[in-house]
Amino acid sequence: MGDNKRYPELKRRLSPGWWTASRHYAMYMIREWTSLFVALYSLVFIYGLSLWAMGSRADFLNFLKNPAIIGFSLVALVFTMYHAVTWFYLLGAISPIKIGRSKTKPWQALVLNLVLLVIVSYLAIWLLILR
Amino acid sequence: MSQDIATIRVTRYRPEKDSKPYFQEYKVPYRHDMVVLDALNYIKAEMDGSLTYRWSCRMGVCGSCGANIDGEPKLTCASFLHDFKGRTITVEPMANFPVVKDLVVDMEDFMEKLVKIKPWIIREKETLPEQGEYKQSAQELERYSQFSSCINCMLCYAACPIYGLNEKFLGPAATALAYRYIEDSRDQGKDVRFPIVHEMEGVWECTLVGECSVVCPKGVDPMLAIQKTKILGATNAIKSILMPRGGR
Amino acid sequence: MKVESHKVARLHAILWGIFSLGGMIAAFLLPVLIYLTAIAYPFNLWPFNGTRDIGFLITGHRLGALFIFVTIAGSLYHGIFRFQSALTEVGLLRYRRALEAVGYFIIFVGIIVLGYYLATWYLNGTIS
Repeated sequence: MGDNKRYPELKRRLSPGWWTASRHYAMYMIREWTSLFVALYSLVFIYGLSLWAMGSRADFLNFLKNPAIIGFSLVALVFTMYHAVTWFYLLGAISPIKIGRSKTKPWQALVLNLVLLVIVSYLAIWLLILR
Repeated sequence: MSQDIATIRVTRYRPEKDSKPYFQEYKVPYRHDMVVLDALNYIKAEMDGSLTYRWSCRMGVCGSCGANIDGEPKLTCASFLHDFKGRTITVEPMANFPVVKDLVVDMEDFMEKLVKIKPWIIREKETLPEQGEYKQSAQELERYSQFSSCINCMLCYAACPIYGLNEKFLGPAATALAYRYIEDSRDQGKDVRFPIVHEMEGVWECTLVGECSVVCPKGVDPMLAIQKTKILGATNAIKSILMPRGGR
Repeated sequence: MKVESHKVARLHAILWGIFSLGGMIAAFLLPVLIYLTAIAYPFNLWPFNGTRDIGFLITGHRLGALFIFVTIAGSLYHGIFRFQSALTEVGLLRYRRALEAVGYFIIFVGIIVLGYYLATWYLNGTIS
């Protein structure tokens, strides 16, 4: 069947703006681009630490108090939380657990992991700062 | 008495005449229980016999009638006109495949991938019928039965932007089918299938868009199959480094 | 060619595994770190409403330094890996090799620098 192509087939490939075609695709792209802020925050943090290493502790502390850094970090926090929420949902989607006759749903994994996030965050603060 | 009318906009492409596709509009009488396939059949029978499209069982089990309806990959036999907003519906060929004519797409690439993953039970040594049947428990069946529901309709490939961007990607249905055999307790073909699904254009291209599972008319959930195959690949790779000779 | 591609694929499987781990780290550990550096410390909120400052997180315990390393290294790896893949999906697929090279270079340098600072501070007693 494949050898008798006397007439050209219409080849169609996606353009770089393919993700604007539907809400699902757009949400996916936003989810993936949260990674940019996760990476950037890490690099900014390392840069801040380098100010300490090559200068003094006060340099690092002042860096964190810089309004531009605070503003950027808050944006990064929003995107990081979006990453966390979508990540937890995906965890639920790829690991359905059978309970009796029914299977767990992704939103249940989302809720469970959000609770875990709060617990882990509190534990980190308690173990590392308060103690 | 004015009859209810639906407007169907269909992609036309006749390679011997047209260099580009175009839309043609047809006005068909509308009944509440009509599906898009009914409208296409009406057009072909009563208005324009040259309209070309695939269909067969008209009840959602053969996988022939896939199309992009109002931008979403759907089976034309399973898409009721009343589910769409308004009375104008756009029907295009399934996305990401080359078009042969009108709504008919070239399936060669998909067929090759289907064969590539060897969709049959592979045994190291065949047992003779006299030696008895292969026994399988209900739990063992459960591990793969959902992935055996695939009707090869290719809607998942039409929905997958990764496949749209990179034709070499193995894709949802082929990987789900490979996983179906990997998880089948009767199958002993992991050594054969793993290199295929774990190559670079295998599962690693997938970035969890998830649209494949959204559009699947049979609830196969190929996204789940791909993720499980990725996890198998990662654990396999670590195992092969830590235990180069042992551990199967 | 076949053997080589098999090795590349196996390497990629492991890199993906690390990416997944990084995703867990970014989801569970990064939010609290950003809260501490961008909200709690600059605005003197709990737990920095007392005498301790954010520097204590790094020098106060070995565990704190480890926490910083794991969280930042994991998040950096995950973020770069995913962003590079996202770039290939908006039209830059043909530059994939170059993007990967740049991405892994940034990850490598970032983790080395971070590890170097923390290790130095640990060895010279700054971290208790």
